[in-house]
Amino acid sequence: MLTPAELVWLIAAVAKGDEAAFERLYAATRAKLFGVVLRILRRQDLAEEVIQEAYVKIWNSAGQFNPGLSSPITWMASIARNRAIDVVRKRTEVSIEEEPAAMEVAADSPDPLARREMTEELKRLLECVGRLEPDRQKLVLLAYYNGWSREQLAAKFETPVNTVKTWLRRSMMDIRECLGV
Amino acid sequence: MMAYSEDHIALAAEYALGTLDADERAQVETMMSVDRDFTAMVEAWQHKLGVLNQMVGSVEPRPEVWDRIKSAAGLSAPQAPMALPEAPAAPPPAAPQAEIVESAAPVAEPSNVVSLSTQTRRWRTIASFTTAIAAALVAMIAVGAYRPDLLPDRFRPAAKTQVVEVKTQPPAASPPSAQYVAVLQKEGGAPGFILTVDEATKKFTIRRVGPPAELGNSYELWLISDKLPKPRSLGVVGSGDFTSRPVLASYDSDIVKAATYAVTVEQGGGSPDGAPHSAPVFTGKLIEAVPPAR
Repeated sequence: MLTPAELVWLIAAVAKGDEAAFERLYAATRAKLFGVVLRILRRQDLAEEVIQEAYVKIWNSAGQFNPGLSSPITWMASIARNRAIDVVRKRTEVSIEEEPAAMEVAADSPDPLARREMTEELKRLLECVGRLEPDRQKLVLLAYYNGWSREQLAAKFETPVNTVKTWLRRSMMDIRECLGV
Repeated sequence: MMAYSEDHIALAAEYALGTLDADERAQVETMMSVDRDFTAMVEAWQHKLGVLNQMVGSVEPRPEVWDRIKSAAGLSAPQAPMALPEAPAAPPPAAPQAEIVESAAPVAEPSNVVSLSTQTRRWRTIASFTTAIAAALVAMIAVGAYRPDLLPDRFRPAAKTQVVEVKTQPPAASPPSAQYVAVLQKEGGAPGFILTVDEATKKFTIRRVGPPAELGNSYELWLISDKLPKPRSLGVVGSGDFTSRPVLASYDSDIVKAATYAVTVEQGGGSPDGAPHSAPVFTGKLIEAVPPAR
């Protein structure tokens, strides 16, 4: 994995149309982004489509990346994850899990946080998530990592959707206050 | 920036979290296209929550995905072997702070020498060192460990065998499993180590984020459980940034999840007799940081 500084430099080169830099950027980040979207979509074919669209968007909008606001990998992962969430929200009529190609998301290597990417910001966020009630911690983490809708969360928590809605909103406000933003 | 109502703030936050429905997402995207400040708020949330992705495991996409990206992005056909410009030696001035962990390491306290009686007392009261967050989480994990039937399906201990149906590639080696993390802190709060444990394999990784051990000393990791008569050594923490070992495999999941983990300062190479010789310097408990994928 390249350092964030190297990724910033690569994105700057991509913004100028440097195809070799784009290839290096892809090589350095594809497995992380694919892991993120596969976990949400749970289907290889959909995850590949989303990854393709995400990188095309990264190629086209690299000039909009602002290193003062976001880290490169977070920016790229947000693009891919947003696309993945859009896809699952629009496919609600078909249960992804019941389709034949449904697959388990298997991270080929659990990415121990012990890697260099573990940042102060992550620790701070986890601390704030940890201050929520246990159920709400689960709610927030399942929503983020698995991309679940309120309906899916309501089913899992055996709670009305409106309650989930209230919990989510309060949880986000609590996190906001805890982070001091 | 204009002041937004709590409704707007919540909408931005839930967009970033991903829980809005398709209509609401479209609404947010419309607002973003006309309101730069709102866009900035959404992006700030995405950045704040985006750090969670650091904990998602990497999965390699198939090689043909790159070919499709190239053609979809309209890149030139097959590229010659890459002749890349070298990255500049100095990082760009606006480099983000992701490596802050490295530089923000707390200053070493020169002395970890504690009198024997104090040590004993500290070992006995070690459970109280844990932070409030850890305590809350441990309560949840304890319910999972002892009364899994009280928890919704998703939170019961992960089944060890799963049917994997994959059309296009061979099944990956291991089923998705929960990741646990403990931030081992000094009493005062400065983190010294980050410990992660994979629930399925019980493999742990410990990463030092504080200062290295003083010359001639070694850090040693211990597992402390009320189910075990005395602290158990999990080995010396290597002098590198992180150390990874499978030694937790011989302990029950209940013990692993509920234990307190502590790092002591020992003579070089670790405790010679399997017992700790200093008070715990850094302690913490595991929290479930990444739920199992299903």
